[in-house]
Amino acid sequence: MGPISPFDPASGQALAISNLFILTLVIGGVVFLLVTSLVVYASIRYRSRQVGPDPKQVFGNRRMEIAWTAAPAGLLLVLFGFTLHAMAVSDPPVSPSQSPDMVIVAHQWWWEVRYPQDGVVTANEVHLPVGRPIRLRLESADVIHDFWVPALGRKMDATPGHPVTYSISVDKPGLYLGTCAEFCGAQHAWMRIRVVAQSPADFNRWLSQQAAVPTPAKTEAASRGAQLFQSLTCSSCHAIAGTAAQAQVGPDLTHLADRQTLGAGVLDNTPDNLKRWLTNPQAYKPGSYMPNLHLSPDQVDALVAYLESLK
Amino acid sequence: MSDTALVPESHEALPRISAAGGLLSWIASVDHKQIGIMYLLISLFFFGVGGIESLLMRIQLAQPGEHFLSPQEYNQIFTMHGTTMIFLVVMPLLIGFSTYLVPLMIGARDMAFPRLNALSFWLLVFGGFLLYYSFIDGGAPATGWFSYAPLSESAYSTSKGVSYWALGLLAVGTGTLATAINLMVTIINLRVKGMTLRRVPLFVWMVLVNGFIILFAMPPLNASLIMLLGDRLLGAHFFTAAGGGSPILWQHYFWAFGHPEVYIMILPAWGMISEIIPVFSRKPIFGYEFVAGSSVAIAVLSFAVYAHHMFVVGLGHPFDAAFSLASLTIAVPTGVKIFNWIATMWGGKIRFKTPMLFATAFLVLFTIGGISGVTFAMVPIDWQTTDTYYVVAHFHYVLFGGTLFGVFAGLYYWFPKITGKLLSERLGKWHFWLTLIGFNLTFFVQHLLGLAGMARRVYTYPNFPGWGDMNLISTVGAFVLAIATLVLVWNLIVSLRRGQSAGDNPWEAWTLEWATSSPPPVHNFDSVPPVRGRRPLWDLAHPDQADEMSPARAGGTNA
Amino acid sequence: MKVESNKLGMALFVASEAFFFSLLILAYLYFQTASGGTRVAHNQLDPLTTGAFSLCLIGSSLTIWLAGRSARQGSNQRAAMWVILTVLLGLVFLAGQGMEWSRLLGSGVTMAQGLFGTTFFTLTGFHGLHVLIGLLALSIFIGLSFSSHGSAPKPGTLEVLSLYWHFVDVVWIVIFSVIYLRLVFA
Repeated sequence: MGPISPFDPASGQALAISNLFILTLVIGGVVFLLVTSLVVYASIRYRSRQVGPDPKQVFGNRRMEIAWTAAPAGLLLVLFGFTLHAMAVSDPPVSPSQSPDMVIVAHQWWWEVRYPQDGVVTANEVHLPVGRPIRLRLESADVIHDFWVPALGRKMDATPGHPVTYSISVDKPGLYLGTCAEFCGAQHAWMRIRVVAQSPADFNRWLSQQAAVPTPAKTEAASRGAQLFQSLTCSSCHAIAGTAAQAQVGPDLTHLADRQTLGAGVLDNTPDNLKRWLTNPQAYKPGSYMPNLHLSPDQVDALVAYLESLK
Repeated sequence: MSDTALVPESHEALPRISAAGGLLSWIASVDHKQIGIMYLLISLFFFGVGGIESLLMRIQLAQPGEHFLSPQEYNQIFTMHGTTMIFLVVMPLLIGFSTYLVPLMIGARDMAFPRLNALSFWLLVFGGFLLYYSFIDGGAPATGWFSYAPLSESAYSTSKGVSYWALGLLAVGTGTLATAINLMVTIINLRVKGMTLRRVPLFVWMVLVNGFIILFAMPPLNASLIMLLGDRLLGAHFFTAAGGGSPILWQHYFWAFGHPEVYIMILPAWGMISEIIPVFSRKPIFGYEFVAGSSVAIAVLSFAVYAHHMFVVGLGHPFDAAFSLASLTIAVPTGVKIFNWIATMWGGKIRFKTPMLFATAFLVLFTIGGISGVTFAMVPIDWQTTDTYYVVAHFHYVLFGGTLFGVFAGLYYWFPKITGKLLSERLGKWHFWLTLIGFNLTFFVQHLLGLAGMARRVYTYPNFPGWGDMNLISTVGAFVLAIATLVLVWNLIVSLRRGQSAGDNPWEAWTLEWATSSPPPVHNFDSVPPVRGRRPLWDLAHPDQADEMSPARAGGTNA
Repeated sequence: MKVESNKLGMALFVASEAFFFSLLILAYLYFQTASGGTRVAHNQLDPLTTGAFSLCLIGSSLTIWLAGRSARQGSNQRAAMWVILTVLLGLVFLAGQGMEWSRLLGSGVTMAQGLFGTTFFTLTGFHGLHVLIGLLALSIFIGLSFSSHGSAPKPGTLEVLSLYWHFVDVVWIVIFSVIYLRLVFA
């Protein structure tokens, strides 16, 4: 059903939900057809053609009442049983004492992604190894958000003051799309999620590379960009490992060049788009907390050269 | 067997109004019929406003990446659309019909507290004014109609909009609570002799049960709103995580109101359907006791299901499972009604006048909404579908396909009683078909969008395959609905001017409101026919086949 | 068994308000346990003084009951005197509340102070508001009682107002127990 549908499950957890959903839709469809056929039949068969005597005045039938109370009740009880089973499969318990593999902190309007055991911090793009359950702790730095990647399974609210730890997993490598699913203010629509699922080897490679300090390009433009990053207000919000910029207000930009999108999905990550973004972020994500810094085209070019070299 | 006709007593002298007619007599009125009409008129006005808000939203969403509305504008508009439709359209429509009809249906002169009745109406006007004033004082609220904290706190919603929202709803809610008490006391105390509670029209029964729900649903809303205002205006910490408060507490308290609220919004419509289907099928309602009793079950259960709005908060499987079971259970008494309504049609002689067209469509559309509702009760499915367009589709099917279709049925049915003129059947059929087609075009595709992964409350969306087309279909549907609404307004105007004269009982119906002129005199009845069963006018017209012949049919022996 | 309309209406209103207060009390209790204890409450509240003022409020329920008894016996003048005493006792209670509030506010315990301030002032504030409204209604009743015959209160009015007044008193007993007595026994 598309690139972001719960009916394209990529994990056992999502599959359990998809199966339950399809079964329920089929049953629901049958009930709908039953009710609609009765209504349509009655409308046609008992339509009055001419004035005449009143039809037989029937007041009720106790047996039918019992039947159409008991049958739906039984059906719903069965559905409840399926529900309990699917809950257990799609949301397996996590032991609260173990530390999480991944911590995601939701912000207005971006996702802070941390791998605490490896000291890695990134933003908006989540990498996962396939084939094993991942302990994810979800938090919020401001308002309620919701982390939802339909192909992986359930969505979970990120509630400030109420961190939640749960288990996610992916079966096969690929790109899985998601989005914030709790209205969180002006740019809720562009708080998108990209999950890159990789083989364990690829994932480990990615993780070590993320943990390393990047070497920026040695070009003149890139060096100028590096200086500007520290001297302009960029470093008051954004961190880049290996530099003096350590602020955690906005997304960490250490390996920005590796990411597929900018602005939590609003633009694809290309030098041209980064140039557009830096020239005026408000034109692409109005209301976001990155103001228009009124940079000159030269400054923008330098910054792009620097940032796009941070692999 | 006496045929004594009864004159409803006036329990107290009503205040004199010096103006014999004109605008002032309406503004100063304490007559339930005038107040009822004013409720309906204000609902119609806000239906237009809320409708325009929805058209603006649908234009913005017609294609991905539109720039028709800024995100800030869009977010205010979707918040105001939801708040308006719920509190300034659906609630006043149902309260307006209840206020107008209940005293007539029970053979009374007016409601128990006529002045309180007027106060309730004017509190609604005041609340609506406060809510919309926000647009010109810094901006409307932009947090959604259920305003989750901490987004609604002053740190994140810096304009006064949310405070206007809270104050407006406090005013409206107080009026609603007062009306509930008024209606309940009216029904309990002012029924004409012979009309026991087991003989009242089902509309009256639903209004009574609804009163109980309102009585206990308003307190959590009021508590939530004053706590939020405390946070915003006085620095309190109820819902601010930073201050040690609990955003989740807002959800518990709000949904403790919010869920019963949706039953408040459907029960009177069920009452209307229960009046209309029998009359147009020429048979009594099938299973009166079960339709009545199932409503009581729903009223009680409605307070036990609220946390199905919180399945994704992560409150633990036992908590989720308990509310899942309750939410599935509440589907049973709901289904019972659908089956009873169909059984009423079965074997009848159905006349498909406009009220019956809307009532019949209601059965199918409400069933669709009910089925999607059942899917939400199943927790893991909710874990995927909540906060998507699948929810938006669900609640529009039950609120529009359900409540509003029921109200349209009621409008065509009771308009002649209220005004003395019939609404045009020809225009009514145009209104019906345009509404049916427009409604399904707008909202059916939204199920698919939700299942394709489109979140709700988004001012735009990525260009995923099919999303633009589906959204465009929905937008087209919305404009069809706009045209349908214009047809309705035209019908109202034209029929008021030169509609066919209705007479006392144009539908050959059986309940007491049809036993007086159209429109009724100020004192409602010159005399009330004897009430010895559930269908007094049927009994009068069929002395040898009266319902009263069988006590079970008449709702007990004469007492 | 028919209950007179005004009384039935008031009873339904009281039922609704009872639920409202329960929710505020629940919020107070939730935050007390969630924030780990009653330290601020212990330090700042004075159960003895507030207890004394509470006795005034409880006494006012007694006086309004006596007013009802006099009215039933036909002595409307005496009934009105008992109602005046009720209002006076209610005012003393409110004065006590006011004194407690100003002491707390002076010590920096405000709505914004923390969870105790937030919940304490909301709960006692809404109760105080309900007392004030009750006093207003009772004062109007007294005024009408002493006016000319045409606007004397109808029979049964006092009973309806008493229902409200007793409710306000019962709510206070619960609030006092939850906020103050808990401190004594915890």
